[in-house]
Amino acid sequence: MFSYYLQLAAKSLKSTPITTLLMVLAIACGIGISMTALTLNHMTGTNPIPEKSSQLFAVQLQSSGKTSEWPTSDNVPFQIAYQDATNLMRVMPKYKHTAMYKTGFSVRTLEPKFAPLLRTARVTTRHFFSMFNVKFLYGAPWSEKVDENPTLQVVINQDLNNKLFGGGDNTGKEIFLDDKTYQIVGIIEPWHPKPKFYDLNNGSFQSTEQLFIPLVLSSTYELPSFGNNNGWKDERNNTFKDKLASEVLWLQYWAELPDAEAKEHFQQFLTGYVDEQKKLARFERDDARAVLRNVQQWLDYNEVVGDDSYVLVAVSFMFLTVCLVNSIGLLLAKFLRSAPSVGVRRALGASKGQVFSQHLVEVGLLGLIGGLLGLVFAYLGLTLLKNNFAGFDFVATMDMVMFLSAPVIAICATVLAGVYPAWRVCNTLPSIYLKTQ
Amino acid sequence: MLVMSGINKVYQTEQVQTHALREFNLSVAEGEFVAVTGPSGSGKTTFLNIAGLLENISSGDYQLDGQSIVGLSDRELSRLRNEKIGFIFQGFNLIPDLNLYENVDVPLRYRGFSNKERKQKIEHALETVGLSARMKHLPSQLSGGQQQRVAIARALAGEPKFLLADEPTGNLDSLMAKQVMELLENINKQGTTIVMVTHDPELARRAQRNIQIVDGQLCDFTIYQGGTVNNDTDKNAVA
Repeated sequence: MFSYYLQLAAKSLKSTPITTLLMVLAIACGIGISMTALTLNHMTGTNPIPEKSSQLFAVQLQSSGKTSEWPTSDNVPFQIAYQDATNLMRVMPKYKHTAMYKTGFSVRTLEPKFAPLLRTARVTTRHFFSMFNVKFLYGAPWSEKVDENPTLQVVINQDLNNKLFGGGDNTGKEIFLDDKTYQIVGIIEPWHPKPKFYDLNNGSFQSTEQLFIPLVLSSTYELPSFGNNNGWKDERNNTFKDKLASEVLWLQYWAELPDAEAKEHFQQFLTGYVDEQKKLARFERDDARAVLRNVQQWLDYNEVVGDDSYVLVAVSFMFLTVCLVNSIGLLLAKFLRSAPSVGVRRALGASKGQVFSQHLVEVGLLGLIGGLLGLVFAYLGLTLLKNNFAGFDFVATMDMVMFLSAPVIAICATVLAGVYPAWRVCNTLPSIYLKTQ
Repeated sequence: MLVMSGINKVYQTEQVQTHALREFNLSVAEGEFVAVTGPSGSGKTTFLNIAGLLENISSGDYQLDGQSIVGLSDRELSRLRNEKIGFIFQGFNLIPDLNLYENVDVPLRYRGFSNKERKQKIEHALETVGLSARMKHLPSQLSGGQQQRVAIARALAGEPKFLLADEPTGNLDSLMAKQVMELLENINKQGTTIVMVTHDPELARRAQRNIQIVDGQLCDFTIYQGGTVNNDTDKNAVA
């Protein structure tokens, strides 16, 4: 009977083109708006590295002063000080862990006529690449030795490689970063984790850096931070060396801990480190402690998907509800107009259930058409966002889950909305409409 | 075929209680052609709706083809209606969006016949009423007489035992009415029981038996057989 109901639904929708158009438009508008909001919410909440999400941990230290306040749920700062980063990296060779921060350079080739490019860079250690599953197109990370002894080496990404050289294997070549020449040791494949979980400062959906250089160069060449610098202590930082020795928090720190045992082991080590610093009177607070958070916990902690995103989704679904309520009115009018035909069908042997099913199929078809048009509206909405606002490149993109969700939500919502009109029409007394005398 | 015993039908509103049928008794044998007459508001339509299982009775018993309909669910009543009863209405009641083929198809769809069976039955039914060449036409493209013939084809397609006709010639001119009546008589001759509501005494005379409903009660009982008229004035007569 389903195919018969489908045929009847198509005929019925065609027989009232204006009403059908109005209902489809109402559903499409509601679905378009709600899917746009839902997509933004869904994509901002996407796990950027699901295969290692539970093994990668952001490290936080409560190293600040007794009265310092931080905009976090547990009042622990997001970043750590350079001296803590270097202290931690010196020990625990058993596990991969890395410190990092963002800087930037004027980049050019050795070709004198090449116009310099301003590019951001990540200052980190070689473990960064293996910890975050960064794949190499050519070459490899710099060596462990380079992490200890300042050497002007750089890893660039494919985009920059294309810009500088037009592509190809250019490892071994040299480029200028500001006024110094760095040797390219590796070229990585396109890598754009969104959200940019390893450094959520200055926007969760910023582009990844195009250059990666050894952290050890930071002190030697006084590479400034292009990210956030959180100071809590009244101290004089006149020089870069002062900053390195200061309590300013400006580095991100990550560890790869493959299992619960490793995590516990690392946590104990960090607790020991904190106790040591407390003894040295460097960490002043009674609640000084180290906190480990895996990628998902880190994203939640940083409220990457903010409350406003949920509010937007809620508002958009309220709008969808308004659209559906309007559709219910139109459906009710349409169905009750067709009550004489329903009366005839009932007289010819259709049960209430069959009449109800027939009308629900019609509503479902309406929802499908509305949902598909809503998908087009959502695509237009997301394109509008991408074209007009920076940072929406990734989040304003519909993935397969969202793509398939739109018609499913539309059908479910309209079928739900159509229950009352269908119930009303199937409960009308057939004899009323058959009376002719 | 149809046995109604002590049927009462009461329509109840907040202030008014209307007895549409009172202690109504009637028996129609298989193969009979019965005409039902009576003034407007007498209960003819209520009788027809109850006979066609379109309305429930307030009390009494109604047996259709040996089966009591009391206490049956909507689904069971619908199946019974679909299998045993064919309807012909004064206003034809064809579904305007469906062509003739699809209109005749409606009761067969609910019966669950296969595509092949349905096609055969539809084509045969339309052929019987002389409209097989116009299967793809919409009802609006036909005359009143042709529409009523389609309605008859639809009523017959499922081969029901019992045909209920509500003023089947009421909207037709005399020539068309004659054709439709001849068609009904032929159908009856082939064994289908027909109960026809009519205002027209001439049409009523063509039935084998004429009953009259006044104030919700059966009040006249006449048998026409080869021009002989037998009157029985006992109320609530049971044949």
